[in-house]
Amino acid sequence: MTHLSLTNVSKHFGDFTAVRDFNLDVKKGEFVSFLGPSGCGKTTTLRMIAGFETPSTGSIAIESVDITNKAPNQRNVGMVFQAYALFPNMTVAQNIGFGLRVRKEKESDIKDRVAEMLAIINLEKKADSYPYQLSGGQMQRVALARALAIRPEVLLLDEPLSALDAKIRVALRAEIRAIQQKLGITAIYVTHDQEEALSLSDRIVVMREGEMDQVGTPFEIYNFPTTVFVANFVGTLNTANAEVVDPAKGLINMDGVQFASATDLKDRKKGDKVRVAIRPERFNFVSQEKKANIVDCTIENITFLGSIVRIQVKIGNTKFYMDTFNNPFLELPRIGAKDQVTCSREAVLVLND
Amino acid sequence: MTQTTLTASKMPAPRSSFKNWIGVVPFFLFAILFIFLPSARLFIGSFTDNDGRFTFANLIELFTQPYILNSYLLSIRISAVTALGGGIFGFLLAYSVTVGGLPKPLRSALITFSGVASNFAGVPLAFAFVATLGRTGFVTAILKNVFGVDMYQAGFNLYSFLGLSLTYMYFQFPLMVLIMAPALDGLKREWREAAENLGANSMQYWLRIAMPVLLPSILGSMILLFGNAFGAYATAYALTGGRLPIITIQIGAQVRGDVLHNPGLGNAMAIGMVFIMAISLAGYSWLQAKTERWLK
Repeated sequence: MTHLSLTNVSKHFGDFTAVRDFNLDVKKGEFVSFLGPSGCGKTTTLRMIAGFETPSTGSIAIESVDITNKAPNQRNVGMVFQAYALFPNMTVAQNIGFGLRVRKEKESDIKDRVAEMLAIINLEKKADSYPYQLSGGQMQRVALARALAIRPEVLLLDEPLSALDAKIRVALRAEIRAIQQKLGITAIYVTHDQEEALSLSDRIVVMREGEMDQVGTPFEIYNFPTTVFVANFVGTLNTANAEVVDPAKGLINMDGVQFASATDLKDRKKGDKVRVAIRPERFNFVSQEKKANIVDCTIENITFLGSIVRIQVKIGNTKFYMDTFNNPFLELPRIGAKDQVTCSREAVLVLND
Repeated sequence: MTQTTLTASKMPAPRSSFKNWIGVVPFFLFAILFIFLPSARLFIGSFTDNDGRFTFANLIELFTQPYILNSYLLSIRISAVTALGGGIFGFLLAYSVTVGGLPKPLRSALITFSGVASNFAGVPLAFAFVATLGRTGFVTAILKNVFGVDMYQAGFNLYSFLGLSLTYMYFQFPLMVLIMAPALDGLKREWREAAENLGANSMQYWLRIAMPVLLPSILGSMILLFGNAFGAYATAYALTGGRLPIITIQIGAQVRGDVLHNPGLGNAMAIGMVFIMAISLAGYSWLQAKTERWLK
């Protein structure tokens, strides 16, 4: 059943449209990420759910109750801010208990809830510390506990990890996901970091210039992007111009090299110009595996990225990246060497604009 | 092979070359000539009678002469009233142009005015008030002739406690604006949003977060305003001509020597002022320590 619903939501700031016709239904306990570059409208949408911005058109509902015009303090929506926003004059325990205190809950209940939250974020020993005495990761955990302490209907997270260093970011995102699943709370997570969105979310909403470009599971978004923008934004991608050769068989031609694609091309006709995308990891050398497409290539460049090796190959006149796992016992190809690469029909995606 | 460990005692100390001290020489010279030497002279002078002999009489007089105690009291009252009044008024103005979201040009205009007005004191300020709110001042005249309101008949007197307080307020509230505007700017928008998000209303946000965060700045500003008024002399003297015997006017009378002449007593009264300011500052430090315990 739909827990949070955004219907035809738009937001204009003067002549500028920050969000246009945003429609989304979120199920209870679902973790949805808004992913997109700066200025795509993801934070504005989150702020409209929180009540800090009022939609110019459309409506927002939680459990079928319209909250579009409700004040932020009447929505029971928890929010975690990018810069923590912990109250500097309060200890960790006071910060966590703040929401319960302003709701005039019983002091004994507040104490119990704060203790419970401190246990969840594993910071029992820091209850009496002030925010300045905590690390960035600890501050964000307190901010999370503070937002959860009020038992919100929806938890909103506005790029909560962007101010932290890489290792803490990875550890904390796993922690956020675990807590969200444990409490079964509906969460909306704003990020521009594709890895974060892919690793955390049940569904991802990819946004561009105020509009939803694609909504899907991380698997769908990564493996089957439907637009050039999504394909480029999520993961590394080879894109090239091509021409439809045989729509029925899914054949396309890229710089004189023919590829077979699993994308349905029934709506296209022979000679149509299309944009094609292939993920680097979907290529293999022919010696390793043979798939539908086998094409000649020249090794142009090799970049070592740790667990993977990124090889640039030239197919026809187009340069593509291919990723292979780093295997210290296999010899890498020489730059300039001729070889053959292969990829499946499913790997060749024909994109919409 | 011998391993050598560089211990702290063996580490080369940072070089403090004589040249590095040259930059601060003017400051130390200034401080010695115009702060330490006069203070020492004041201290010694307060234990010296008119014949140059050591005495406690001046200090004893501070506590036994009712007119001196009344002067201290008057100075403290006027300083406290103008610090509080100027503080509240200045805070509200600063709030309006920062958090209140009034147009930015208004803020620039207010800050510029405050920069000038906070330093506008002494004879020019007194004259400005006489020319506007004096018995024949033009504001008094406009109120009387245009609106039919006779301020002086209604009990107002520029040369009274109220009048002097009003005059002091002219440089007190701009000082508060100058100090509080940056402090109010320091309130993060996220704090307010986080508070609202957690269910707090505006009043709860101000009482539980904004005011505690601002309290050290407000207290510090109030003490500064108190000291600003407590040490004022020329404005009060030019405006009232000694009719309001605040402590600085009493000191002036003892040192100038037109009618009274007891520099030793003047020195002792000045030491009394230092003592009162020291108590104020100690009180401020204590309050600050209590309110700022959450700061680094």
